Amino acid sequence: MDASTKTRLPLKTIVAIIVIVLCIPLILGLGVLLPGEGGIYAISAIVIVLVMLPFMLAFEGRRPQARELVLITVMIALAVAGRAAFFMVPQFKPMVALVIIAGVALGAESGFVTGSLSAFISNFIFGQGPWTPWQMFALGLIGFLAGLIFSKGRLPVKRLPLCLFGGLSALLIYGLFMDTSSVLLMTNLLSGQSAVAIYLAGLPFNAVHAVATVLFLAFLAPFMIEKLERVRSKYGLLGNQ
Amino acid sequence: MRNLHPAISFSYFAFVILITVVFMHPVTLCISLISALLYAIYLNGIKSLRLTLLVLVPMMLLAAIINPLFNHLGNTVLITVGSLQITLESTLYGLSTAGMLAAVILWFSCYNKIMTSDKFTYLFGKIIPSVSLIISMTLRFIPRYLSQMKKITYAQQAIGRDLNSGHLIDRIRSGGDILSIMVTWALENGVDTADSMRSRGYGLKGRSSYSLYKLDSRDKLLAAFSLYLAIMVIVGIALRLISISYFPWITLNPFSIPALLIYLAFLLLCLFPLLLDGFEELKWRSSRSRI
Amino acid sequence: MALFTLKDLSFTYPQQPKQALSAVYMVVEKGEFVVLCGRSGCGKSTLLRHLKTVLTPHGKHQGEILFDNRPLAQVDLREQSSRIGFVLQSPENQIVTDKVWHELAFGLESLGCDTATIRLRVAEMASFFGIQEWYHKDVNELSGGQKQLLNLAAVMVMQPDVLVLDEPTAQLDPIAAAEFLNQLKKINDETGTTIIIAEQRLEVVLPLADKVVVLADGKVLAQGDVSAISTRLNVTKSPMLKAFPAAARVFLAMEDQTDDACTAGSPKGEHFNREYRGDARFNCDSSIATCPITIREGRDWLMRELAATQSQPSSDQLAQPQMLSTLPPAPPSPVHAENPSDASTVVAGAKEVWFRYERKGADILRGLSLEIHQSELFCLLGGNGTGKSTTLGVLAGLLKPYRGKVWLEKQASSANTLAATDDLLQNKLAAFTSAESTAARGGLCLLPQDSQTIFTEKTIRDDLLTMFTNPKSDISLARADSIAELLEIDTLLDRHPFDVSVGEQQRAALAKVLLREPQILLLDEPTKGLDAAFKEQLAAILEKLKARGVSILMVSHDIEFCAAYADRCAMLFDGDVVSQSATRQFFVGNSFYTTAANRLSRGLVENVVTAEDIIKHLSTLNERQSKSGFPSSSNKLSGTSSVRARS
Repeated sequence: MDASTKTRLPLKTIVAIIVIVLCIPLILGLGVLLPGEGGIYAISAIVIVLVMLPFMLAFEGRRPQARELVLITVMIALAVAGRAAFFMVPQFKPMVALVIIAGVALGAESGFVTGSLSAFISNFIFGQGPWTPWQMFALGLIGFLAGLIFSKGRLPVKRLPLCLFGGLSALLIYGLFMDTSSVLLMTNLLSGQSAVAIYLAGLPFNAVHAVATVLFLAFLAPFMIEKLERVRSKYGLLGNQ
Repeated sequence: MRNLHPAISFSYFAFVILITVVFMHPVTLCISLISALLYAIYLNGIKSLRLTLLVLVPMMLLAAIINPLFNHLGNTVLITVGSLQITLESTLYGLSTAGMLAAVILWFSCYNKIMTSDKFTYLFGKIIPSVSLIISMTLRFIPRYLSQMKKITYAQQAIGRDLNSGHLIDRIRSGGDILSIMVTWALENGVDTADSMRSRGYGLKGRSSYSLYKLDSRDKLLAAFSLYLAIMVIVGIALRLISISYFPWITLNPFSIPALLIYLAFLLLCLFPLLLDGFEELKWRSSRSRI
Repeated sequence: MALFTLKDLSFTYPQQPKQALSAVYMVVEKGEFVVLCGRSGCGKSTLLRHLKTVLTPHGKHQGEILFDNRPLAQVDLREQSSRIGFVLQSPENQIVTDKVWHELAFGLESLGCDTATIRLRVAEMASFFGIQEWYHKDVNELSGGQKQLLNLAAVMVMQPDVLVLDEPTAQLDPIAAAEFLNQLKKINDETGTTIIIAEQRLEVVLPLADKVVVLADGKVLAQGDVSAISTRLNVTKSPMLKAFPAAARVFLAMEDQTDDACTAGSPKGEHFNREYRGDARFNCDSSIATCPITIREGRDWLMRELAATQSQPSSDQLAQPQMLSTLPPAPPSPVHAENPSDASTVVAGAKEVWFRYERKGADILRGLSLEIHQSELFCLLGGNGTGKSTTLGVLAGLLKPYRGKVWLEKQASSANTLAATDDLLQNKLAAFTSAESTAARGGLCLLPQDSQTIFTEKTIRDDLLTMFTNPKSDISLARADSIAELLEIDTLLDRHPFDVSVGEQQRAALAKVLLREPQILLLDEPTKGLDAAFKEQLAAILEKLKARGVSILMVSHDIEFCAAYADRCAMLFDGDVVSQSATRQFFVGNSFYTTAANRLSRGLVENVVTAEDIIKHLSTLNERQSKSGFPSSSNKLSGTSSVRARS
């Protein structure tokens, strides 16, 4: 989307990414060969970590500069502080909303980093657990998609599309990923029926989360995107769009 | 364990948690669960264990119920409710999963205590330097943001905008104001931080990564010892000296001396942190008493 | 050997008609301690940022910057990173990582040093600054002063040849600031590191300086050693002098008088003297006694001066000087006029208030009692952690004391024009519940220390308008405009609140609070980070408010400001007021916690609070002396009084 992504990745990074991508089917194959039951959860978690690595390596590969790094950090810190500020209200969190805003304002790649690190770092406060990789990937994906969909003008950066995207992603991406992680962790098997049961059980929570995301986006998005723009123009951040 | 080299503690937790999740053998699960419980109590105390249990018990219950309810693999039918067949195998499998969940969550609570953020950023500082710098910076920003949020709320009250009074709409509006001040403040002040980074040469080629950790001889010895135990366990599982299969019916490895040795190896591995910490504490006490 | 040479440096920000720097010529020798002073917004920061390429602002540049005899632009960034150290104003914003040890290592990591090197250098620096004890701490546990020291150490590990510091103590309290500046002195003395510092606290920093550069409107007004500079500024009657140490101010004022006196009374004729004077002043050299800077130098000079007046043959018996000169009990200057009728009208107060933040925490306020009088400026002084800000919170009703009472007089909240027309305000007024009275919140307003915590909008005008229920109405607009005019921010209304200087932010924040039409105004450290000129502006504004019947309580570290402008002062210690009296009495009564002028003249001249008091006293002595001593006294007197009128 801007000058920073045009810089080509170093060869080392590209090779690393290819190797990682090749590893994924290998791990899946290993999972099938694994003796006895169980192991599905572990395999899926490893695969998810492997899927995230190329994003991170690509981000590292283009050596982000100080101001971009600070901007991403500010967004992550706001998201985590937001999660901490609302810790009394279950599911009513501004994290997804802030990650979407970061994705829209900073681009897909930074959106992914903001999302996955928001999840990871907030777990330094709330505790890492078996859910960490899933949460990281879900939020990262949301930030990535937000960047992809909104930053090239495919969709206008207006309140309605943003809220729609936010609600759907909280419900379908974040909710689905987290519930899947629960299913896998609790059954450690591939079992359709249990999955349906857990999805249904999770639906009310995910709905609250989606509503919260929509509300936060409706309230925060316009002025935050404007503020990010202001900071970008005032300090010449991230080149020009 | 706390002052063990981060690479060793990280690999240790990764291995133990992985074995616990992948290998749902009743004996190893019991070993893992009990060791994790003991170590969690040692590290966090009984009080915080209660909090952990608050999250854990519902999850365990759900796992124990959901498996027999929706999983009809297994040949030994216990009860038939309508079209639902609840089998012995899936019931036991559910219980094992509940135990596995408990063990994993408890191990993670120990991991959280030992693997602090700076150890993590050290470990990955060389592979993903920008990301680990972001982590370090974020952890610097968060407490600052939380205290600034308090300051802003206070300041807004001081000039007559109170979060705790007025209509709901008013309150939401002033809450929004606080957030917007917060965001502006964070973004504007971040620019200084970036200047400070660039002024100190951030962005030059060939950044190195400094840490306080050194791999000393004790680390190497302990690493070798735990690696030896871990290899024993892996070999035992790979050679099917210990094995478990729940479906269609439960088959457990027969009791044998090699199997016993592997159980012992896993027990030693799981108790390793507790033994290590306990031993060091004893040594410290005795050295104190001698003075 | 010159380290930095700036030749005809000019700079213009994009889309600005005026040059931010114009034809700056400056040479910094190796090992020098250079102090850059000037009003806020005079281009100090802009100039300093030109000394390091990565920090140089975008815009139109002209002229030449040489670093170590090479154009700065040709010095590669790696070399610049390590050789030119930069410390910025805010202690908080500069810190990048979460651990003290990591922050110290950050710069060396950027340079790609290996672990062994970093370990050694970090160890050296931690020992040099005495920060071993907090080496493993989280950065957030440090105090403001410690944070700024950490920033300094984090730059020093890169072993720079030159340290550039942009008002590094602006956000620190006086004690932390002095400690920081002393560390700089130590670095300069013990390592020979060149230091270039922009600073407002001239009292502390001038004695350390080898060279002073005075900047005004982007131009170098004067540069040279301290003594020369002060004399030079005195000639031009530069407003910068107000920021100079008391000793220097007294000295210069007296120089002026005796100088003029000499001229007038000299038998050699005026013509000659004018030439002689001009010569001496513009060379800024030995023909005039060295200007005293520190209190000690000032006392030495004052003692000599007083002794000289005594030894003069005096035929006038009435003017017989005493060893201990005493000022007549101060004829109240217009600034601290104390209206006796006001003194009795108490508008708000606290009685035996106890407060703590946590149930099991320590008591912050311990039986605090105080009263605020009608239309006065009441200053509450005290060090860090004595409970100053807490006191304001309790008085404002934001913090609830667990014992004692806080009260507001009813008339203080009497409806005023704004409140009466403003429903929202009325609601807010009703919402205020203090321990006893149902007094209105609108009657009392607190301006928080950090102005950045109160701006919500994109422009200052919009921000002011948020204080009205009906922001679009003409009345609101007119009121916002008039308050902006009162606070002299009317030209800034369309700017973003974060784009204006600290002093301007302060005033915009004050404007916002004043729209509540408070009868009692509480100010938390309003002079923090302000330069001398802004402080004077603030004082004038407070004066205007007092004239409108507003009562003001401010808490502050700033002894000089309080001494110059307060009606009453009190000292807070250990959660209670330990002494409280009219300003002059207060400062005369203290021996350490008092103004520089008082310390300067302690035991020599009594009853002194400000530098002006000493000047007045000395000129009275001179007058008496001349009356009795010289026949041509009438001639001389006119000269003296004209000087006084000028100053």
